[in-house]
Amino acid sequence: MSKPNIDTGSINTWCPGCFNFQILAGFRNFLGKEIKTEKQRESIAMVAGVGCHAKIYDYVNLNGINTIHGRVLPTCMGIKIGNPNLTVYGFAGDGDAYSEGISHLIHAARYNLDVTFIVHNNQVFALTVGQPTSVTEKGYKEKTTPEGVVLPTLNPIKLMLSARAGFVARVFADVKQIEWILKEAKKHKGFKFIEVIQPCVVFHPDKGYKEKTYMLDSKNHDSSDIDKAMKKASEWDYDGIDKKTKIPLGIFYKEKRKTFEEQHWQLQKLMKKKKSWRDIKR
Amino acid sequence: MRYNILFGGKAGQGPNVLTNLLGDALAKKGYYVFYSRDYQSLIRGGHNFNMLTFSDKPIHSNESKIDIIVALDENTLRIHKDNLKKNCIILGGKYPNMHFSGNLFKILGFEFEDLDRELKELKRKYKENVVEAKKGFEEKKCEIELKKIKGNKGKFLSGTQGIALGAVKSGLDIYYGYPMTPSTPILGELAGMQEEKNILVVEIENEIGVANAGIGSAITGAKTMIGTSGGGFDLMTESLSLMGIAEVPMVIYLAQRAGPSTGVPTYNSQGDLDIARHAGHGEFNRVVLAPGDPREAQELTNQCFYFSQKHKVPAIVLSDKHLAESYYILPQKPKIVSVGKNTKWKRYSSYEQGPNGSSTEKPELINRNVEKRIKVGKEIIKDSKKFPMYEIYGKKNSKNLVVSWGSTKGAILDSIEDLNCAFLQIKYIEPFPDIEKLLKGKNIILIENNATGLLGNLIREKTGIKIEKKILRYDGRPFLSDELEKDIRGNLK
Repeated sequence: MSKPNIDTGSINTWCPGCFNFQILAGFRNFLGKEIKTEKQRESIAMVAGVGCHAKIYDYVNLNGINTIHGRVLPTCMGIKIGNPNLTVYGFAGDGDAYSEGISHLIHAARYNLDVTFIVHNNQVFALTVGQPTSVTEKGYKEKTTPEGVVLPTLNPIKLMLSARAGFVARVFADVKQIEWILKEAKKHKGFKFIEVIQPCVVFHPDKGYKEKTYMLDSKNHDSSDIDKAMKKASEWDYDGIDKKTKIPLGIFYKEKRKTFEEQHWQLQKLMKKKKSWRDIKR
Repeated sequence: MRYNILFGGKAGQGPNVLTNLLGDALAKKGYYVFYSRDYQSLIRGGHNFNMLTFSDKPIHSNESKIDIIVALDENTLRIHKDNLKKNCIILGGKYPNMHFSGNLFKILGFEFEDLDRELKELKRKYKENVVEAKKGFEEKKCEIELKKIKGNKGKFLSGTQGIALGAVKSGLDIYYGYPMTPSTPILGELAGMQEEKNILVVEIENEIGVANAGIGSAITGAKTMIGTSGGGFDLMTESLSLMGIAEVPMVIYLAQRAGPSTGVPTYNSQGDLDIARHAGHGEFNRVVLAPGDPREAQELTNQCFYFSQKHKVPAIVLSDKHLAESYYILPQKPKIVSVGKNTKWKRYSSYEQGPNGSSTEKPELINRNVEKRIKVGKEIIKDSKKFPMYEIYGKKNSKNLVVSWGSTKGAILDSIEDLNCAFLQIKYIEPFPDIEKLLKGKNIILIENNATGLLGNLIREKTGIKIEKKILRYDGRPFLSDELEKDIRGNLK
């Protein structure tokens, strides 16, 4: 039996040099090791929103849905509840996750379904040609904001820690980091928040972000301590970079909590029998 | 024979318990019973009342004039004094409410055992209740002697319960909701069935979340229903459009209340016909069915599951506050059709899709998708012909024809008994039945619980026939059969 094809064959329309290619490559590498059979391919669900990030759905041949803007997380929840034996990956942009769909993000952390959520944070509405999002630094100028951004940024890592997400991580859009964090996330049961710093080559280019980053590890951080995680998250507030900027990457916080599935006997029953609601004949 | 009993008091004083006790006992004696709930948007205080109407013949609505009033507070008498019949029996005073159950059972000629049985079935505070009920029973004498009759054999059912049963009988797996009156009671109704029926009920953070969680579950093949009212449905509309393009099977319970906006949250209206038909951007298929009583609520919810699963479309059960929260006794059993379960686990999208499931902008692929949707639309129309898309009641050959839809059915049926007219009840809003022949040459009277006659507009759109005579009620209250009879009579030829 030949290995299932996880490439859709669609023409890639990201800009040349787009950091989304790194995320795509990292996800494909990860999937390449996960998927050996068609059954395994079908056991992984993928959801994307609307924006540059969402084109990843066009390039990866997984079942799921390219849903509407901002609604990735409730859709992931619905898929997981519909078939708790699926492994669910949700992809969203910063517009999707931190503007249009921010209420869902906070609640998803509470629900704690076993779902992995990957935010492509390019700090800009790119596909609509460059408007500022809630994580664009002060002073950023473009056509709709001629006098520059005046509002403070959100800090999504702090937000997720406050919302009691059980797995909070940030990486740079680098193929190796993506593959690594997806493997780490796989080990954790519950809601997994992974933010990817993904400079937009056209509207929010890399001004040296990667050089400012460093990895969190057991020597410099205790990922079981929420106060320490909060401190690490405060080191960078998404408000641009200067000489002193340090951007911590890696796992900020991990906490084992009961998942939504574990607290609903209906879903436990399906998981034990390796069945979905679709298989239940009434 | 029709008797109207009003139970009124402050929220929290428990008129519902009394209404249920008496209603149940009357039904056991063979009488037909209907009762509606009028309550304000508050938790304690204010004025709430239930109106119970019973008869030896089928009954589906209340009348305006009261035969017996149970006033749990002084306010109740003041508010309803203009509607008391001349010889109205007034029960009031500062007693625990079970005292009034004793009064009522005696006045209506029940044996104390009848009441005792009801109190036992209540399964709470029996010892206290029975003492108080006995006092109340002994205090009165029989004034209306009700004989046991060979009448109804049905059980009480509310519109909400009808929708829930229809869903479960269609194989419901998962229900998502967010509380909003009058769709809220179905959350409790279905949650209470979880264990017995192996279903899952989940409350999500808002109606947008509800609709999209619903979509997620539906594409895995779970039979999924979501529910809401007014503003909550507005929030779902972007997702309705997504169900349209992605061909997601979904049943949506839309319980109307008086709007626009927050409107009058706990009161009734049929103002959402247009939004049910048109919500969502772009052109896509949907089904909209409007039940008129709890039996039809079961049947049309079932048919919504049928259409949504077979044709992969969203299907809306359009109900309202009056239907959702009124209790009926309907002897006829619902007709339930079997519903398939064959949704494919594949690549779905909010975009127009190419053959690999990815988005496409190619004109030939867009055409293919659009034309496929048009074809499905035609198949739905063809398929709908096997169901009764409308009903005709009354004197079918009369030149007078009352036309309506939804929960007005009850009051219309009860008001036309002695009138020379027929009643056309439209159950299928989308697709719409071919009714032109039925209307031609008739003196048509449109009856709706809204201000502009939305069904009338729809009929004109589909048939070109403009209905001039309209009886419209838009104060949030349902029609009452005695008042409605006068209004219809004034419009007859």
